[in-house]
Amino acid sequence: MSIISIKDLVKSYHDSAVEVHALNGINLAFEQGEFTAIVGPSGSGKTTLLNMIGGLDKPDSGTIMIGDIDITQLGSRKLIDFRLHNIGFVFQSYNLIPVLTALENVEFIMHLQKVPKDKRLKRAIELLEAVGLGERVHSRPSKLSGGQQQRVAVARALASRPRFILADEPTANLDSVSTRNLLEIMEKLNHEEQITFIFSTHDKRVVDKAHRVIVLEDGKVVKNDYFQGK
Amino acid sequence: MIWIVAWKNIWRNKMRSLVVVMAIAFGLLGGIFSSAVFKGTSDQRVREAVSRETSHIQIHNKAYTEDNEVQYVIDGDLEKLEGVLDTIKTIGAWSARVKFMAMAGSANAGTGVMVTCMDPEKEKRVTEIYSLINDTCGSWFSQCKGIPVVVGQALAKKLKVRLHSKIVLTFQDMQGNLTGGAFRICGIYRTSNSVFDEMNIYVNRDDIIPLLNAGPGACHEIAIRMNDEEKITAAQKTLKDLFPALIVKNWKEIDQLIGMMNDIMDLYLYIFMGIILLALGFGIVNTMLMAILERTRELGMLAAIGMNKRKIFLLIMLESVFLSLTGGIIGIIMGTLLTLYTRHTGINLGSLAEGFEKIGYNPMLYPSLDIIFFFNLTLMVIATGILASIYPARRALKLRPAEAIRND
Repeated sequence: MSIISIKDLVKSYHDSAVEVHALNGINLAFEQGEFTAIVGPSGSGKTTLLNMIGGLDKPDSGTIMIGDIDITQLGSRKLIDFRLHNIGFVFQSYNLIPVLTALENVEFIMHLQKVPKDKRLKRAIELLEAVGLGERVHSRPSKLSGGQQQRVAVARALASRPRFILADEPTANLDSVSTRNLLEIMEKLNHEEQITFIFSTHDKRVVDKAHRVIVLEDGKVVKNDYFQGK
Repeated sequence: MIWIVAWKNIWRNKMRSLVVVMAIAFGLLGGIFSSAVFKGTSDQRVREAVSRETSHIQIHNKAYTEDNEVQYVIDGDLEKLEGVLDTIKTIGAWSARVKFMAMAGSANAGTGVMVTCMDPEKEKRVTEIYSLINDTCGSWFSQCKGIPVVVGQALAKKLKVRLHSKIVLTFQDMQGNLTGGAFRICGIYRTSNSVFDEMNIYVNRDDIIPLLNAGPGACHEIAIRMNDEEKITAAQKTLKDLFPALIVKNWKEIDQLIGMMNDIMDLYLYIFMGIILLALGFGIVNTMLMAILERTRELGMLAAIGMNKRKIFLLIMLESVFLSLTGGIIGIIMGTLLTLYTRHTGINLGSLAEGFEKIGYNPMLYPSLDIIFFFNLTLMVIATGILASIYPARRALKLRPAEAIRND
């Protein structure tokens, strides 16, 4: 059974008097353990699609089933709670809390989930070690490089034990070495722990690593290719 | 953990937070010190009015309170009344007075005065006029040639008389005939109320009774000093119940202006501090709005990862409360230290002294505030922080995570 099942998803924006069809009847399904890249030119609907899957925005019509829950039908409060326990986010500009250390940033989401202090501390250290930052747990984001900050963001996304991780242009601000490191870590997590990653990206290096590439154009899926053996 | 994040957040922009904290601290310092001066002045005026003018309770013949004629003495139950006063344990002392208006004249001038005739030893336990006579200005009814009288310094100046000078008092006796006598000034007192000093003179009751042609027990007023001010109302009620024909008033009823001032002082101080905090609250709102504007993307991220609205509201509210409480605590400490210091040294109004004395106030001010005021002020500071956070927090809650995350 798919962990995400999208049916007839439509979303339009009104920009002045012009109606922009950001998503125009999307039908997709994602399985557990996928490593998927959503690509397309600017304005093709990649970010809108990711926002819909992440419950950050509501479609005009269509359904998004995550497990057996249609998140388009959830009220605001339930949707926030659903995101907290089911979806991990990695953003283009890291979006870490600057006043907290790497450890505290990873811990914070577990605090929101009411995980006991000792358990969340243990898991936060494990995750930071898994992304290669075991030595930098007490560093604040301002003392970390862009690549290191993005790795903290990946650890934070994993901390809540989500069903899948949505990453919006995660490598857009990184140099090639940091990009390679980050992709290796995510690939490893995907391969060893069957963690599902869905990226929106322009980055060829990410696309090259993806097991599945979905191409969007004008709010429609124009290509949906699987690359076996990757 | 949200508490820690909130505390750390307020120090992200140290300079901006310090400016707000200092504005709150100095605003409160000014407010607390002003309040302490007002309260100290008010308390001092009340204390002096009670100890020099009104005492705690006064008893009169009803007719005397309506028309201060000399014939309206407390009659009938006087002995019983004096017996009762001695048995009420909360009463510290009492003094029976004959009190009437007279003309005081010297060789140079004349003026109207209120003559209080009493037993000097009993009066010493009720009022502290005796203690306000300087060593060089005689004493409280010492031996002197002639009938002794104690006058205020302002009256002595007006009549152009000195210690041991003779003055003549002219007044009506009990039968309505004009009478009078010559008195020798044995003491000159000085309170901080020059109007009072110019108006009130003291004579031994035993000396005045024959001149008044009154009975030996004649008395217009009984002034009572309580051991415990908390028991004034209870003693007043007891006396009223036992002597319904007499008028028994407490000091607030006797000097209604001071009584009212005392009653509204606390309310006034809280309104005063409330206005200061309201002004500071707008500063906090502005700071919090700036902080939220700067952190739009971060707040969007927090909402996206699953921080619910209640916790985001709590985070912003805590930041606002921490900001106001930090400034509040510094301000309260500075205000307390300044109040304690000036309470110890006093504040001498110097050149304004004469004007203050004319309206009955001591030109030496001793600021004072109750501990409960500081406790309530701390609560008010916290409330200001909470109220100041509502508008910024509502703005934060209106952010749409999908848009906020992409905010530059």
